[in-house]
Amino acid sequence: MVAADAFRQEWGRVNAALIRQTGDWDLAEECAQEAFAQALRRWPRDGVPDRPGAWLMTVARNAAIDRLRRGRTHRAKVEELAVMASREMANGETEAGAGKDADDSDVPDERLRLIFTCCHPALAMEARVALTLRTLTGLTTAEIARAFLVPEATMAKRLVRAKHKIANARIPYRVPSASALPERTPGVLAVLYLVFNEGYSASAGDDLIRRDLCDRAVDLTRAVTELLPGEPEARGLLALMLFTRARQAARVNERGDLITLADQDRTRWDQAQIQQANGQLGDALAVGRPGQYQIQAAIAGCHAAATAAGDTDWPKIARLYRHLADLTGSPVVELNRAVAVAMADGPAAGLALLRHLEAGGALTGYYLLPATRADFLRRLGRNSEAATAYEEALALVGTSPERRFLRERLDSLSRRP
Amino acid sequence: MFDEAMHYLQILTVDPDLAPATPEEQREAMDALGVWLDGLDAAGASLLHGSRTRPPEDATTIRIRDGQLIVTDGPYAETKEQVGGYGVVECRSLDTAVRWESRHPHARMGSVEVRPLSGGTRAGRLPEPGPGKARYLLLVCTDPAVDSRVTGNLEPPASARTVRVRQERVIVSDGPFADTKEQIAGFDLLDCADLDEVIEIAARHPMARAGILEVRPLWRHGED
Repeated sequence: MVAADAFRQEWGRVNAALIRQTGDWDLAEECAQEAFAQALRRWPRDGVPDRPGAWLMTVARNAAIDRLRRGRTHRAKVEELAVMASREMANGETEAGAGKDADDSDVPDERLRLIFTCCHPALAMEARVALTLRTLTGLTTAEIARAFLVPEATMAKRLVRAKHKIANARIPYRVPSASALPERTPGVLAVLYLVFNEGYSASAGDDLIRRDLCDRAVDLTRAVTELLPGEPEARGLLALMLFTRARQAARVNERGDLITLADQDRTRWDQAQIQQANGQLGDALAVGRPGQYQIQAAIAGCHAAATAAGDTDWPKIARLYRHLADLTGSPVVELNRAVAVAMADGPAAGLALLRHLEAGGALTGYYLLPATRADFLRRLGRNSEAATAYEEALALVGTSPERRFLRERLDSLSRRP
Repeated sequence: MFDEAMHYLQILTVDPDLAPATPEEQREAMDALGVWLDGLDAAGASLLHGSRTRPPEDATTIRIRDGQLIVTDGPYAETKEQVGGYGVVECRSLDTAVRWESRHPHARMGSVEVRPLSGGTRAGRLPEPGPGKARYLLLVCTDPAVDSRVTGNLEPPASARTVRVRQERVIVSDGPFADTKEQIAGFDLLDCADLDEVIEIAARHPMARAGILEVRPLWRHGED
């Protein structure tokens, strides 16, 4: 294991354990950083230790003890930390980590506390996302700022404010009680899904950092499924992310242009990830408590199962969207249902559903609404109406791959009157 | 003739443009508060309890809609002058209260709204929170246009007076400190171990369904 891998795997754990032991978010972050900096210096020279997690934890904890001692206050905390260090040394085993066999780290897993605290509803959504990425995945403030297209100073301020609120309003550092857990878990999953989507459906910018966002979201969601094994929606979300990520390589061409699902080269889909996703989804559905992520994953699973676009089970997808629309009341889901219905029963049926949506007004200004109408009209051979709708969509869309896609469709109409 | 003492809530607000910026200005404001408190006692009135609150960034609102608990970051309303403290004052009349509030340092750095506690509500001294507990101010806010059943422990916003001092002139206006959709209708103080406990209690508050509850941690001594 090289230092970079250790960083990925252990940062969240080391940080979460330090916050737990010191109650000080800034101190924890500084000391985790120091431990990883030492690893970068020493491992290439001295070799990677047998238990990298324990090594990092010890260095980080010693750094914390040093800093607290220098501060001359917090005597109780210093003692507590020292006791904990010696106990772990003696046992070579940690309490929280014990009993979790899937777990090959030596650091006690306090990440569930950390994620529930970072995703606390009393924090603004953007603060939850930033704090989760910073404290659990170790992305730097600069990287998070770049991923969300805000100046680094703005992101730094956002993180500081969130940490202050946690301290000042006393947002507790713990996993919610069993009775509050069902209420709070969707909030955690929503943050993870938002991070994944931000990485996947690039609203602009730097590809590398965005792919990294996706991977971090998958890692964290996987950790949540292990830490909350009784929560089928966490598994559903993981399955959804894996199905989606499996198509990543086939999703854009060399120029970075978007390729629709129908036109993608399905041999480039990552079958290993699809298989993993199917496994997770199967486990989730077996619990018998379906939810929005499980249904979305089931839809993604239908696509993944079709070796050619023509083999897609559209009637089943349309039914799943119906179920999802009932559950969420979301107009975007309704738009997707119209697409599925158009595939199952023809574009005229889809167009009828769109008319309802347009009358509702909830999606006014959303480019996919005219883009979908354009597609239905094109398939019905109503080319001049389709052209108008494509132009309407082009006026609403901001990112270049989507613009190029719509422009090409529009041009193809005039080539083929 | 013996006048029975009345109880008022003072809502202290801060205008970010007028707030003391330098440590000297902050010290001056603290000194002015000491002078104000001394004067209050001398006039036979008293501050039963009160405190600065943490700024709006540390506020949380809680409400229940369609049976769903909704917790959000920030104060109940985005106003220029923002709640920065509270106090429960005992004195003879609203006019006396208004007169005293015109000397309150917050009248210069924002405003002081005085609101009678509704009939029958009696206030007393308040002991410090117990060990491991922190105190939070809970503001019960309602939209008078939507819900007329004000069940707060304050007289309606129309009975409020707001005092400001600008360029050494005392300006007293009728009504609350800001003309917002939701208005403060009541208040409470909660001593809780953490924010989750506050949210749990607030979620059971009868006004969580009709109004919005804002909780603000109180300023603790020794905090920056």
